[in-house]
Formats: sequence, structure tokens, C-alpha cells
Amino acid sequence: MKKDMTKLGLTLMLYASLACASLAVVYAFTKESIDKQSELQLQASLKELFPEATVFDPIQDLSSPDPNIKFESAYEVKSDKAALGLAVKATGPSYGGNATLLVGIGLNRSVAGVRVMALNDTPGLGMNASNPTYYVDKTKKVTFLGQFAGKFLTDPFEVKKDVVAITAATISSRSLTNIIKAVGNAAVAYMDQKAVTAPTESGPSAEAGANTGAQPQAGGK
Amino acid sequence: MKKLYSIFKQGIIFENPLLMLMIGLCSAIAVTSNVSNGIGMGLAMTFVLLFSEIIISLFRKLIPSMIRIPIFIIVIAAFTTIVDLVMKAYFPDLSKSMGVFIPLIVVNCIIMGRVEAFASKQNLPSVIADALGMGLGYTWVLIGLAAVRELLGNGTLAGIQIMPASYQPILFFILPPGGFFVFSLFISFNLWLKKRMEVSARNKELAAKKEAA
Amino acid sequence: MDLGKIFLLALLVNNIVVMRFIALCSYIGMTSDLGQSLGMGYAVTFVTVLATAATWPIYHYVLVPLNLTFLQILIFILVIASLVQLVEFYLKKNVPGLYTAMGIYLPLITTNCAILAVTFENISFKYNFIQSIAYSVGVSLGYLLAMVLLAGIRERIKTSPVPKFLQGTPILFMATALIGVAFMGFAGLVK
Repeated sequence: MKKDMTKLGLTLMLYASLACASLAVVYAFTKESIDKQSELQLQASLKELFPEATVFDPIQDLSSPDPNIKFESAYEVKSDKAALGLAVKATGPSYGGNATLLVGIGLNRSVAGVRVMALNDTPGLGMNASNPTYYVDKTKKVTFLGQFAGKFLTDPFEVKKDVVAITAATISSRSLTNIIKAVGNAAVAYMDQKAVTAPTESGPSAEAGANTGAQPQAGGK
Repeated sequence: MKKLYSIFKQGIIFENPLLMLMIGLCSAIAVTSNVSNGIGMGLAMTFVLLFSEIIISLFRKLIPSMIRIPIFIIVIAAFTTIVDLVMKAYFPDLSKSMGVFIPLIVVNCIIMGRVEAFASKQNLPSVIADALGMGLGYTWVLIGLAAVRELLGNGTLAGIQIMPASYQPILFFILPPGGFFVFSLFISFNLWLKKRMEVSARNKELAAKKEAA
Repeated sequence: MDLGKIFLLALLVNNIVVMRFIALCSYIGMTSDLGQSLGMGYAVTFVTVLATAATWPIYHYVLVPLNLTFLQILIFILVIASLVQLVEFYLKKNVPGLYTAMGIYLPLITTNCAILAVTFENISFKYNFIQSIAYSVGVSLGYLLAMVLLAGIRERIKTSPVPKFLQGTPILFMATALIGVAFMGFAGLVK
């Protein structure tokens, strides 16, 4: 009986180690690709927010004003000639867990744009934050995050006042808005402190320019 | 060959894992708020089912029956991890939108059930037929559910706008209760289909008997 | 996020069964009578919390330092399976009262999706240990709640005239859809 147990145990061990070994092989093959994916996604999104940018310098000394919202990484964005603004990857609590956004802040203290990095939410409701065909303003085709582009940080950033909420997902809308606001405030403070300012003639970045006209109407539908 | 075909056919309607056996339901309703997720989940599931069944059928004489369940779990978990890693590496968006449901393939009762009841006793060809049949049975229901829900709830199919722009999507279908609602009708439809096919089979038999008489 | 919020979100707003479709197999299979659904609910609650307490440290103190996070699925399911076995032995020997109440359900819950899902989400939501425990208690009590609700409704369904095309399992899902609509009302509960 005892001998049987040892034999069974050994068999089980054998199968388990075989499984682990084969997984290690697959992992080794896919690891590079997986790591690259999140990096690629970040790079692509950074590029989208600041199309003219050529350099993204990581910066360390930018801390979140809100203890619930964590800044995972932050970059000073520059083109060949001048500084363009800041971009911050921030994670904060939302409705279905944590949400991670990439927020770009232009030198004129306005939001250059917002991209979703990771989001868990109810499909059809909060998930619409990352849905490119869900518009808070149907006539102008402005998405929920699109409405922030070109928005100045002196605005109140209050959902249902100057920010249109996603239908039936007020809590998600509020959480995401809070993340953007936190990044904005930190970025403005940083820029004031380091005296990073815009060259006189430059307006909001090209991406922001496309959407600046779309001031959201309070209340939504 | 005919035997293989009949094994294959079982999973699609008569023993459809979702609609008849009522197993593996979790992922079925959860990921079907759009068609691409439905297809992705169906394929992921079929892959794990197929390879787990193949491995276990090949090794069935080397698996002591006392510890077969832990071994099955190890094999299934290994293939699930492979799917998870591959999806993360090459289909990051799909992987993200399915979240926890990929790891949950491990505890999907369809796989455990088929492995225990079928793969551990049968030879390779029948096992492959069974896995493909069950996988296809699972996938078609997923795609069907997803198509109904996405079309009515969002006006799109796999992200492409189908309904005219004036169509006001019925949000209900994308929301969780809508999933249960559509699924309920699918079961009802499958029961009806099965009954009809049984009746026609019996009629055929009777007719054949009459002729013989 | 504070603990009460995590708990309420898990229990009602994102109820694991009616809002997130996890653990549907046992939800349909084990609710034909009330006692059975309670037993299953208790067993799942018990094991989910234990499994969280076991898998969270394993992930953060063993898998992460050793760079073996790709074995997460394999290790977690094996931990849960062995945990279930241990609990069964222990209860049988030392707490026979509890064993008679939920013992027969224990072997069934190794493959209960709820438990594995919770242990995974504790990791992917980046909860700390205390938050993970709060989340696991919330989710599993939410499961218990859904089980008891459906068991209660099934008692009524038995004596009600059900339309012919919904007889059998379809009516159960239809009822669940309605429970789900009711649960959507909890959405505004947590600010």
C-alpha cells in the first residue's frame, strides 16, 4: 500500500513536471511578444496623443495628488524643437476594478487627449468608455474620452456639469474623470515648477485641435 | 467513418454541451456581448478541449485510475495556460476583453466531463471527432448568442455597423439580463429542434418498417 | 478602495452569478431544493475564503519572486483541489456536524468557477491581502444569495403554469434574467 502511494506520487510528480516544462517553453517563446505588446500599445498611444513628438523622456518626480490614483509612468514629451507637454499613465479605481488611462497634457494647460490602457467594466455601459463608436455627442461624433481633448484644467471637471456622462454609467464616468483631473493637476503643478512653457505662438497640439470645437453640453441625453 | 461522423454530430445538437447538458455555461453568456469575443472564446475552448482529449487518450494506459483526476487537471491547466499566453502575445485586445474567462477554461465542466467520460476510454480518431463536435457545438451557440445580442443591443456585428443609423440599440440585450434572456430562448429553440428531429427520425423508421412489411 | 465598497460591489452590484455569469453550472444544477442550495452556498463561501487566503501569499511571495507567474493557472487550480481534499478530511474527522451540512458538496466545488475566478481577480485587480479577503467574502456571499433566490423561485415555478416553450430549463434562465434586472437597480448603491 505504502509502495503504491509513493509510486502514484511519483507519477503525479512526473506529469506535473512535464506540464511545467512545456509551459516554460511556451512562456519563453511568447514572453518577448507579451512584454512588447504593452510597450507597443503605450508607444502607439503616446504617438496618437502627440503626433509631432519624437522624444518621450521618462520622468520620476511626478506624484499623484490622490492616494487612490497611482501614476505608473510619466513622460516629458518633446518634438525636435521644443517641449510639447506631459503624458502620464495612471491607474485608479473605477466601477469594475481598476482602470488605467494614458493622459496627455499640453503646454497650454489643456488635455491633449486620453487613451484607455486597461479597463474592466460592464459591457454596454461603462465599457463604452473604450468603445470608439460610442458617442456622447452623436452629431459631432465625440466619444466619452474624446470630449476631454482640448479641455482646460481650469474647468471644474464635474460629471453631468461640464463632462457628459456615459449613459447609465455615471460612476464609471466620474472615476475616469477623476483620474484625468488628478493627472492634469499634477502635470500643471509640475510644469509651473519646472517653468516648462509653450513657445508663444504654439497652440494646442494637432490632435487636440481637431476636437477643440466640441464643447460638451451638460446633461447629455 | 460513419461512427466517427455520428460521434461528431452528437455534440452539435443532441448533446450540445451548453443547450442540452447545461455545462460550461459561465463563459458562454459572459463573453457573448459581441461576436469577436464569441469566436475567440469558442476557438480557445475548442483548442484546449481537442489537445487535452488527444493527450489523455494517448496516455490513457499510463494514467493510474486513482490519480486520474489530478492528472486531468494538470493537462487541462497546461493547455489553458498555453492559450492564455498565446492570446496575450498575439491577440492582446481580445485577451483583455475576455479577462478572467480564459483562465476559467480550466474549470469548464465541458472539458473535464469529456475527458473523464470519453477521452480516457476511447482511441484517438473517436476522441478527435468528439472534441471537434463538442467544440463546434459550443462555438456555434456562442456565435449565435453573440450575434443576436450584439445586433439588437448595439446595432453591429463583430464591430461593423449593420443596423441603419436611425436604429436605437436595445441596451437590454448587451446587459447581463439580456444574456440570460437570449440564452433561455436558445435552449427552448434547441429543445424544439431536437424533438422535431426525433419525430422525423421515428417517422422514417416507421415508414421503413411499413415498406418492409 | 475601502473594504466596505469592495464588499458591496462584489456582493450586489457585480453579483458573480446574475451579473457576471460565473458559476452558472452549479447555479442551475444545485438549486432544485433550498437545503441543497444553502449547503452548496456555505461550502463555496468557506472554500473561497480559504482559497484566497492560500493563493494570495503563494502568488506574491512565491510565484512573483521566482518569476514563475506563468504557472499561475496550474498552481492555483492544484492548490484549490488539494485544499478541498484537506478540508474534507478535516471536517469529516473533527467537525462532523459541519461535514454533514456541506461535506457532500465539497468534491463538487473543485471545478466551481467562482472560486478560481475570485483567486484570479484578487491578483489582476491588484488587491492587497485584506482587500482580497473582503472581495472573496463579498463574492461568495453573493453566490449564496443568488443560489437561495433561485431555489426559492424554483419552489414557485413547480406549481405555476409555465408557457410550454419555456418549460424545463428555459424558464430558469428567464427567471434569472428578471433577477438580473432587479440587481441592476443596485448599480447606484456604491458611489
